[in-house]
Amino acid sequence: MGNFLVWVIWFLAAGACLGTGIAVVSSTNPFTSALSLIGNLASLAVLYLLLAAEFLAAAQVLVYAGAVMVMFLFVVAYLGGRADAPWAGGPPLLRAAAVVAAVALLVEVVVVLGLSWGDNLQDPTEVSDSFGSPGEIGELFLTDHLLAFEITSIVLLVAAIGGVVLGTTRERSAGE
Amino acid sequence: MVAGAWTCLLAPLAGALAITLCGQRISRRLAGWISTLTTFVAFGGAVVALFALWGRDPGNREQLSTAYTWLGAGDFEVGFQIFVDPLATVMMLVVSGVGGLIVWYSMGYMAGDDEERRFFAYMSLFVFSMLLLVQAGNFLLLLVGWGLVGLASYLLIGFWHHRPEAVAAAKKAFVMNAIGDATFALALVLLIWETGTLEYTGVFEQVDGVSSTMVNLIALGLLGGAVAKSAQVPLQTWLPDAMEGPTPVSALIHAATMVTAGVYLLVRAHPIFEAAPDIQSLAAILGAVTLLVAGLIALVQWDIKRVIAYSTMSQIGYMFLAAGIGAYGYAIFHLMTHAFFKALLFMSAGVVIHHLADEQDIRRMGGLKDELPRTHIAFLVGTLALVGIPPFAGFWSKDGILASALADDSALGWTLLACGLAGVLLTGAYAFRLYFAVFRGPRAEAHAEAAHGHGEAPRSMMLPVGVLTVLSTIGGLLVIPGVWHPLTDWLAESAEPLVEPTTGEEYLISAISVSIGLVGFALAWRAYRGHRQLVTRPDAWRVLEHKFYFDELYDGLFYRPAVAISNGLRRNVEEPVIERSLDEIGSGTIQASGGIARVQSGLLRSYALAVAVAVLVLIVVFVSVR
Amino acid sequence: MMGPDVGWYLIVSAMLFGIGALGVMLRRSPLIVLLSLEIMLNAANLTLIAFARQQGSLDGQIFALAVMAVAASEVAIGLGLIVAMARRGLALDVDAARALRG
Repeated sequence: MGNFLVWVIWFLAAGACLGTGIAVVSSTNPFTSALSLIGNLASLAVLYLLLAAEFLAAAQVLVYAGAVMVMFLFVVAYLGGRADAPWAGGPPLLRAAAVVAAVALLVEVVVVLGLSWGDNLQDPTEVSDSFGSPGEIGELFLTDHLLAFEITSIVLLVAAIGGVVLGTTRERSAGE
Repeated sequence: MVAGAWTCLLAPLAGALAITLCGQRISRRLAGWISTLTTFVAFGGAVVALFALWGRDPGNREQLSTAYTWLGAGDFEVGFQIFVDPLATVMMLVVSGVGGLIVWYSMGYMAGDDEERRFFAYMSLFVFSMLLLVQAGNFLLLLVGWGLVGLASYLLIGFWHHRPEAVAAAKKAFVMNAIGDATFALALVLLIWETGTLEYTGVFEQVDGVSSTMVNLIALGLLGGAVAKSAQVPLQTWLPDAMEGPTPVSALIHAATMVTAGVYLLVRAHPIFEAAPDIQSLAAILGAVTLLVAGLIALVQWDIKRVIAYSTMSQIGYMFLAAGIGAYGYAIFHLMTHAFFKALLFMSAGVVIHHLADEQDIRRMGGLKDELPRTHIAFLVGTLALVGIPPFAGFWSKDGILASALADDSALGWTLLACGLAGVLLTGAYAFRLYFAVFRGPRAEAHAEAAHGHGEAPRSMMLPVGVLTVLSTIGGLLVIPGVWHPLTDWLAESAEPLVEPTTGEEYLISAISVSIGLVGFALAWRAYRGHRQLVTRPDAWRVLEHKFYFDELYDGLFYRPAVAISNGLRRNVEEPVIERSLDEIGSGTIQASGGIARVQSGLLRSYALAVAVAVLVLIVVFVSVR
Repeated sequence: MMGPDVGWYLIVSAMLFGIGALGVMLRRSPLIVLLSLEIMLNAANLTLIAFARQQGSLDGQIFALAVMAVAASEVAIGLGLIVAMARRGLALDVDAARALRG
């Protein structure tokens, strides 16, 4: 019974994920695209939970859906009509090639997966209950992966500064 | 003895280096003293070497001293070595002795010149180079000295480098000498090919075994070098122009020493020439031709230095004549006496020029007998020695040469004798023409103001002149036929003469040549009294004035075609092909890059597509490699 | 582990990646391109977390967290660029930004 429930939840989440993804890519209204992405992120969070990544699921919802998407919606609202995004053309060769490339990518990945399903993707190891908990992740961040932690914080700092630089308008002196 | 010889060689080099390195830190007079003293030190070394060699037994009078092995290639080896034998000692003494006197003289002559230090550095460099040439123990080192004296000559002719004539003359001298250097070097290549060595002893031992065509070519190459360096026909045109240099330079390089290097080569390499007798005779013939040509041209020259220059050319013709018939001892003897009286003539002329504030045209000179009494005597002694009036030096040596020609009882010998005697007539004529024009006759007005007020000349100029006057008087007494001949005996150890005139032949020829010389004097006297020139026919005058049109011939034969070819190449090869090809490479690169640049469409989406395709390919690669 | 194997998650991730790639290559509005880019990043995150689960090591999750931080920064800058473009009156069209053509 538990397994069955998990499968159901998995199908729903996966389906929602793919559906909202297609919606993001194909919608002409940017507002709809943004909202679809929120849905995408939420369903991904569910999938993370199924994979015993609780902290990450929470972070996903807080950071991505909470902060990043809010930024997106702000910009869409600011831009208003200018953000309209019809399916305008472009070189037809480019478009055909793009579709082919994406499909080929998918096919390749599936093939590789299939080839190695047997040998490498064996049964997943048993994990403890604290796998994916904030405590464990925090411990790793401060011991084994301290460098990644610090560098990531630098990246965020740089992004913050970059954002401020992009956003400031210079005072124009009179007569210029 | 070896130490003496090495000191002789290296002292002037040390002087040159010292003057160069000290530069402006030493005074000009000090530079002059350094140069003079080092040259006299070299003379001292030469004297030491002479006495040491003299003390040895005859037959043992050869010493080869190697400092280090300079070049080596397989079996072939060349060392930095000096060779001391009687011939070398005589040359060393002449070069360092006369050289020292001339450098001393030039301290007075060049005083006050802006670049005096450079002058003395070059003079010391020249003395070193000439000593290297005569002391070299192998042909390669001789060639090194040969080239260095050519360099020193170029530097000193063009010493007053702001004068375009001097620069042109220096270039002309260098280029013509380069022709000789080239033939000389080719001869050395053949020598290495045939004998495998360049040392004198090694070469001379093997020279008989070489095929006659080869030996003739080698001798011809050496003769080419000698002809160029000694300004003989056909490579003689550079010597008169070289008079653009300062008078001490003319005295040292273009009278006493450098131009005699050709004669030294002919004597030193006599085994090679004896194995190629046709070439040796050719040397004698060229000498005879030159002595006549130069004598004739000297009859019409107006520049005092040019007359003396042509006289040099003519006298070296005598030396070539002697070496060509095998009278090596007399050739070197005449070289020695010629150094004395020719340097004397040049230095006296230098006093005159200095006194008249750089006037060199004899038409504007005259009557200096009373103004410059000592110079007058010196010049007269030099002239008498030149013409060959006994007991002055030139008499003994020149008549030795003529007697040798007589003793060589062949058709060639008789022809050469006739040429030599005709040359004596010409010598008497032009030498006394010069004397009368400069020192006798009315006093030229223009110089009353320009002349220097105080005395004849500084002591540094008059003392060397005095020494050379004495030498020109008694220097010939080293060989008195029938009485004693130490010099020719001494030299015979290095180079056994092929002809030996008897005492009777000597005195017969002496009588004839002195008479002919006096006839020449009489011709000049009559022309002077009659206020006319020696050559009056206008067409003869024109030919002589143009120096037998040699310069024009070479200009048309070599210079113009070379210029035409160069211009043609520049127009047809350099500009269209080479320059344009560079441009083509540039524009071609631009076009190619333009084509490639079209990949950068600026379209973001195509870039993204490219990334995606790359990822696809990489996945395939990674999977298959694994 | 209950539910699907890790492989199924990987298939979902691959399809999501493909969808995101299509969006990047086919849409002309920079805003939509950024959204598609987000989808691709999230697909990568899913892969990382799936493998972390499969191998029992938390390294994958750490990596995913770092990716999330970087993605957030990148979105911030990207949106800043879009706003700057809009303020200057430039057309919000990816094909119009061609100044770097060779």
